[in-house]
Amino acid sequence: MKGYEEGGKLRGFRCTHCGLITATWGLACSRCGHPELVEAELTTKGKVVAFTILTVPSEDFLNDAPYAYVVVELDGGGRVTGWMPSVRAENQIRIGDRVHYVAGYKPGVQFEKDAAVGSP
Amino acid sequence: MRETWVVGAAANRFGKMKESSREAATRVSMEAIRQAGLEPKDIGYTFAANCFGISEHQGHIGPLINNGLGIPHVPSVTVESACSSSSAALHEAFVHVAGGFTDAALVVGVEKLSHLDTLTATSYFAIAADYPFETKNGATFPGLYATLASAYREAFSTTPEMLGSVAIKNHANAARNPHAHFQKEISMETYLASPIIASPLRLYDCCPFSDGAAAVVVAAKEFVKSPVTEPLVVRASARAGSVTDMQDRPDLLGLPATRFAAEKAFRQAHLEPKDIDFLEVHDCFTIAEVLALEDLGFFPKGTGAKEESEGVTARDGKLPVNSSGGLKAKGHPVSATGASQVVEIFEQMNGLAKGREVPRAETALAHNVGATGGSCSVHIFSRR
Repeated sequence: MKGYEEGGKLRGFRCTHCGLITATWGLACSRCGHPELVEAELTTKGKVVAFTILTVPSEDFLNDAPYAYVVVELDGGGRVTGWMPSVRAENQIRIGDRVHYVAGYKPGVQFEKDAAVGSP
Repeated sequence: MRETWVVGAAANRFGKMKESSREAATRVSMEAIRQAGLEPKDIGYTFAANCFGISEHQGHIGPLINNGLGIPHVPSVTVESACSSSSAALHEAFVHVAGGFTDAALVVGVEKLSHLDTLTATSYFAIAADYPFETKNGATFPGLYATLASAYREAFSTTPEMLGSVAIKNHANAARNPHAHFQKEISMETYLASPIIASPLRLYDCCPFSDGAAAVVVAAKEFVKSPVTEPLVVRASARAGSVTDMQDRPDLLGLPATRFAAEKAFRQAHLEPKDIDFLEVHDCFTIAEVLALEDLGFFPKGTGAKEESEGVTARDGKLPVNSSGGLKAKGHPVSATGASQVVEIFEQMNGLAKGREVPRAETALAHNVGATGGSCSVHIFSRR
């Protein structure tokens, strides 16, 4: 199965009944059950709603730890999960931080923090 | 529906098994059957659980267990529901017995992972997450629960000491449980000094990888007639699911499947949370115990961590939780966990929980989660 990352874009689905926007593959809406989802391109900017810094990774990320694993609410609707190789400690990230999707160097959705105005 | 009882329940010492899953599962099954005053030939159906049998190059474990019990003609099936596999098997057994399809059923869960290194075992565990949408993006199981912990901390300002109190309590209980993987108490200093695995979760927030086996015998009241143990009456056997992925959940402050399964179970049993004397809940991580107690309806959302840190859930507290030591300290042999929760309740109600007795053991609840809440079982038991 394809993930939701393809050609530098995030792809997902929109429910034609309730309007749910989701990245997760399915044939019917996981919120209202309506059996019609249309493909939709997701927006690539959003904010962090939950995160963790992983120091013990899974096999595929063996050489990448520590890194952040994040749940991101996209500005155009829908949430996705992803990882942030540039965030390596708790004091480098907060819930509410603005992030954007970048085409990563390995499979998996990768995010980076937006450059904050006035940040060091 | 027929009144259905748990008449026997047995587990081995969790931790590291020298023998294979098949041997351990057969041994605890025989023990549970004998304890019930029955013979293997009384079993009409075997519901087995063994998620990671593939790591031992072994699938289809049910018939092997039945062969070893001398009942090769008895039907069996292997039930998979991630960490809730054996409570799912118990639910199937309940349905068969209560529905009159069989008089007595064996539920047995077993897991062996100690022959794998930590990295391989972590990857095996991660198989139960959503591979393309979670694991491929860097998630591990501690990582997914840590994500929930971060959302909870943000919403309710929990301190590390609050989660630490859950680990300390469960270790104290496990220290008095001969089945437990970790039979030692820990201090807050030890907890706080343990390394971060997936922030904010430390090593001592996480359950261990354990080997273990647990079996439960379920039978119709009318079949048993004169039980040799104090049977547990199955007052409710409920299961529910929820959206699998974190990214599709409306909030990250609990597990919807727990709420749904609990509602069903309390309705079936005609009981409320205040009627429950003690519980075994799914504490694969300390945060999971807090979320479970809130989602099951015992504490209002956002108050669980504080209640736990004030000793309410201690073995001699108002609401004893995980008197066995829980997944956290008794250990988490994935497919044996759900059945082992019933073993604890059986031992408490039969006066077999020496040194870790709860003050009152008339009605109890067992809560077992598959993965991050894609599935959940809630069972309620009471004495006759």
